[in-house]
Amino acid sequence: MIQETLKTFKPEQQNLLQILHALQDQHPQNYLTEQALEETARYLKLTKSSVFGVARYYSMFSTTPRGRYIIRICASPVCELLKVNTVIAHLEQILAIKTGETSSDGLFTLELSECLGQCQEAPSMMINDKVYNNLDANRIKTIINEYKQKNHD
Amino acid sequence: MQKTIKLTIDNKVVKATEGENLLQVAKNNNIAIPNLCYHKKFSPTGACRLCIVKIKDQNGLIASCGVTAKEGMIVTAFDEELEEARKYLLDYLLSEHDETYDATYTDEFRELIFRYGLDKKENRYFPSIVKELAYPKDETSPILSYDAAKCIKCFRCIKACDEVQGKNVLSFTNRGIHSYIIGGFDKWGESECDGCGECIQLCPTGAIVEKPHREEIQLNGDIKKVRTTCPYCGVGCQLELFVQNGKILRSNGVDDVSPNYGRLCVKGRFGYDYVQHHERLTTPLIKKNGKFVEASWDEALDLIAQKFTEIREKYGKKALAGYASAKTTNEDNYLFMKFIRLVFGNNNVDYCTRLCHASTVTAMLRALGDGAGSNSIEDYEHSDYILVTGNNMIDTHPVTATFVKYAVQRKGAKIVIIDPKWTPLVKDAYIWLQPKLGTDVALLNGMIREIISNDLIDRSFIEKRVDGGMEAFEALKELTEKYTPEYTEKITGVPARLFTEAARIYATAKRPLIATGMGFSQQVTGTHNVFALINMMLITGQIGRVGAGLNPPRGQNNVQGVSDVGASPFTYPGYISVEDANNRRKVAEIWGVPFEELDGEKGLSTVEIMQAAYDGQVKGMYIMGENPMITDPNLNHTEESIKKLEFLVVQDIFHTETTPFADVILPATAFAESEGTYVNSDRRVLRVRKAVDPPGQARQDWEIVAEIARRMGKPLGNYKHESDIWNEIAKTAPIFGGISYDRLDHQGIQWPCPTPDHPGTATLFTEKFNTPNGLGKLHPVDHVEQSEKADIEYPFILNTGRILYQYHSSTMSRRNKSLTDFANEAYLLMHPDDVDRCGFKEGQMVRITSKRGEIATVVRRSSEVLKGELFMPFHYPEAPVNKLTRDELDPYSKIAPFKISAVRVEAL
Ligand code: SF4
Ligand code: SF4
Ligand code: FES
Ligand code: FES
Repeated sequence: MIQETLKTFKPEQQNLLQILHALQDQHPQNYLTEQALEETARYLKLTKSSVFGVARYYSMFSTTPRGRYIIRICASPVCELLKVNTVIAHLEQILAIKTGETSSDGLFTLELSECLGQCQEAPSMMINDKVYNNLDANRIKTIINEYKQKNHD
Repeated sequence: MQKTIKLTIDNKVVKATEGENLLQVAKNNNIAIPNLCYHKKFSPTGACRLCIVKIKDQNGLIASCGVTAKEGMIVTAFDEELEEARKYLLDYLLSEHDETYDATYTDEFRELIFRYGLDKKENRYFPSIVKELAYPKDETSPILSYDAAKCIKCFRCIKACDEVQGKNVLSFTNRGIHSYIIGGFDKWGESECDGCGECIQLCPTGAIVEKPHREEIQLNGDIKKVRTTCPYCGVGCQLELFVQNGKILRSNGVDDVSPNYGRLCVKGRFGYDYVQHHERLTTPLIKKNGKFVEASWDEALDLIAQKFTEIREKYGKKALAGYASAKTTNEDNYLFMKFIRLVFGNNNVDYCTRLCHASTVTAMLRALGDGAGSNSIEDYEHSDYILVTGNNMIDTHPVTATFVKYAVQRKGAKIVIIDPKWTPLVKDAYIWLQPKLGTDVALLNGMIREIISNDLIDRSFIEKRVDGGMEAFEALKELTEKYTPEYTEKITGVPARLFTEAARIYATAKRPLIATGMGFSQQVTGTHNVFALINMMLITGQIGRVGAGLNPPRGQNNVQGVSDVGASPFTYPGYISVEDANNRRKVAEIWGVPFEELDGEKGLSTVEIMQAAYDGQVKGMYIMGENPMITDPNLNHTEESIKKLEFLVVQDIFHTETTPFADVILPATAFAESEGTYVNSDRRVLRVRKAVDPPGQARQDWEIVAEIARRMGKPLGNYKHESDIWNEIAKTAPIFGGISYDRLDHQGIQWPCPTPDHPGTATLFTEKFNTPNGLGKLHPVDHVEQSEKADIEYPFILNTGRILYQYHSSTMSRRNKSLTDFANEAYLLMHPDDVDRCGFKEGQMVRITSKRGEIATVVRRSSEVLKGELFMPFHYPEAPVNKLTRDELDPYSKIAPFKISAVRVEAL
């Protein structure tokens, strides 16, 4: 699997970020395994630490297993003014986890992120690639339930 | 010549070289601008900002390490504002820093803390938050510890590893205040780190500290620092040994001096512990009724003198022979060879060089007139094309490899590698040519033809500097004509597209250097290989300039020197033939002996000595610091030969595979207990200095040799100190004529150095070659089929070689925990397809059999070797691969074909 994905890219060091994205996306637990990093390093003729350093530097990558859905909450000043903290508290409560953790059913990981660029409609969150704005307690519950439902079917 | 400029720092006019970095200029002038992230060994980082200065007509506080000094610059390095700013920066750094100090490392940061009075808590502004930050430690490496709480993120370690060593093993993780240095996936021990310790030596704070002897060393206490030369490979790195309570506790590279400019590899840094190993030989031992019993020096030396004398009287003087040693000093070897020639009365003296370099030396002597490397090691850094053939330099000459990597990684040079086996340098290679074992001549002839047919030869060089000029060239052209790209590809298996391009860029490069190695020389056709290479070099005129030439790196610390001082069956000190009566006359005069006493007939070479022992012609042998029972080819035969000797003396620092066969074993000193000199691969005479006392009654080799001679009634001379011996060497060998210990005190000198005012010679052959007529000589050679080929019974071709962490017969290297922690196991590399075809599993025990013997080891899958070929390191006595190799010799140089043996492999 990893090798096949690697081969879709030219073995050039400038492709590192894209490769890491692809490898992370293809993993059911949404993270970069040591094997993925190691094979990437070998493919690009880089040392392990230079690949690992990049993987750890960007918040979009994870080197530990995560849920199928990554919930990212904007923790920038505007959102903060708009009580993003209560949004976080809600999510933590519904999912029974703390920020940075993964729910016990393996579905959700809760993370903070830089500004999502949705300040006019804050507070906001992203679930994988989808953005949700104007959050309040009810909306959060509905959205999460939708995802849970989706996974049941 | 670079221009000298003048500038003013704090009202003082200082001189600098144009292009120099401002901080370095200040340092050179003893202006102590604080700095932590800068080091002259690599490019400036600008991370710590402590080196700030003010420059007239420029705004703000500027980090001086990032400024190029300019003519007329007016710089303020110290004023109140700058000092306040520095103090503030230090204070801030300190708040994230674990400030405990155990005196096991030098701490530049701590020195600055004291300098700015920040050791007193009341002078600080920021409270410490280091506990809250909960920084990790990494203890997974066998040789170093990393403590992020002591790291100031200067990135010196990253640059040390990347820019100085060319390895780029280190990186950093996380962001901002939480970031720290990582090796691998945050586990140093599982990273590509090979333990060179460059990062340790360059870390300014003790965030990275070496593990060995950390509990013992106390830098606050009495430390003796002794500068000497590394005892392992032929790079000849300059080391500084830290000695405390009579024990070596650390080894650092010596900055600023050639050949290594402060760099080391893992062996030079961590390989010294064998010196203080409990298994060292400490007294003479005499074999009585099959057992070794301790003896006094008098008893042992008298016995030796008596036995050697008896043998000479009974069988004649040709019945005695000796092996000199590439590990011991020039002085030791010079006296040893003098001993053989005067006391044994023959020329039967040789050493391991015959097994490694003889073919290279023979070919170079015939074609160029000198058998040594033509350029300096640091030349690689300035070269634009490096041809590496049969030379795994990252493992065998790691510090040379750092210069090569620098040229490629930082200056865009191109490396072309010729090697049947993958080597780590392939990662940096522009082209890797992977010929079938034993087809080098064909490959080179193919390259020569390509050069000729593209008209890339250097006509004027051929006319002026090659014997026979264009006529000789025509003969070469004719011979190589048939090596068309197609034909060459068919023989070698290398795609024509690759070797033709490699040939064209070689011919057109500005400064191409060639590094050969054992893969090239240890063949029955070894001499021919080198001839072919020299042919290519001569017709393109790619020799005789800085950065252009031919460099066969020497394996052992003193291989070069031992030949230079004449421990050879064919030549006296300075490469003058034993058959040359004038020379013998001259030497006889210096030695004060009658001319007739010097044998004018060539002696026996290394493998020939063993064969003569087998045939009963050699009866007595004196082996100084060699271990033929591992290193000679065809070991079963060597064993039978050694057993036939009537009397064998082995002088060494440990019991080896050879000592059981001895009648007397004599304990000698190790490098750190000896005084003298070595000569490294680039002909540099380097001092070796005594750091610690030898164990028990061990004595330096030359003293033992001199004593035996005296007891045999032929004293060798009156030497009080090693320098007396050196002075005699300098008198005997014109290449050393101008070198004395005084001149070597600070830094080595490259021979030829004929007179005391001669600076030494960095580049050979700039004006003429050293042949009798001063011209280089072409030797057109044809490809011949290997006599040993794979067949149904022995379907694989076995190649042998070295690895970074072990050394030669591993007598020394295996007695260092740091080295065995990295690698301590024999193995056989086999191509994955072959592994599957044979039905083996990774790590399975197998038996390897050649026509000459069999051994057992584990199999490792590896695409480093071609299908049908195998590789095995030769270091390990439990799997002595030389039981399999041949002792069929190259007719010219008598080298043995270690690299090519047909074998079969079976499950065990
Ligand atoms: S010891 Fe050498 S190879 Fe290892 S990380 Fe340090 S500089 Fe790099
Ligand atoms: S490169 Fe050679 S001389 Fe230098 S430290 Fe390593 S073994 Fe010693
Ligand atoms: S020494 Fe100049 S910024 Fe660190
Ligand atoms: S990076 Fe230099 S001390 Fe850590």
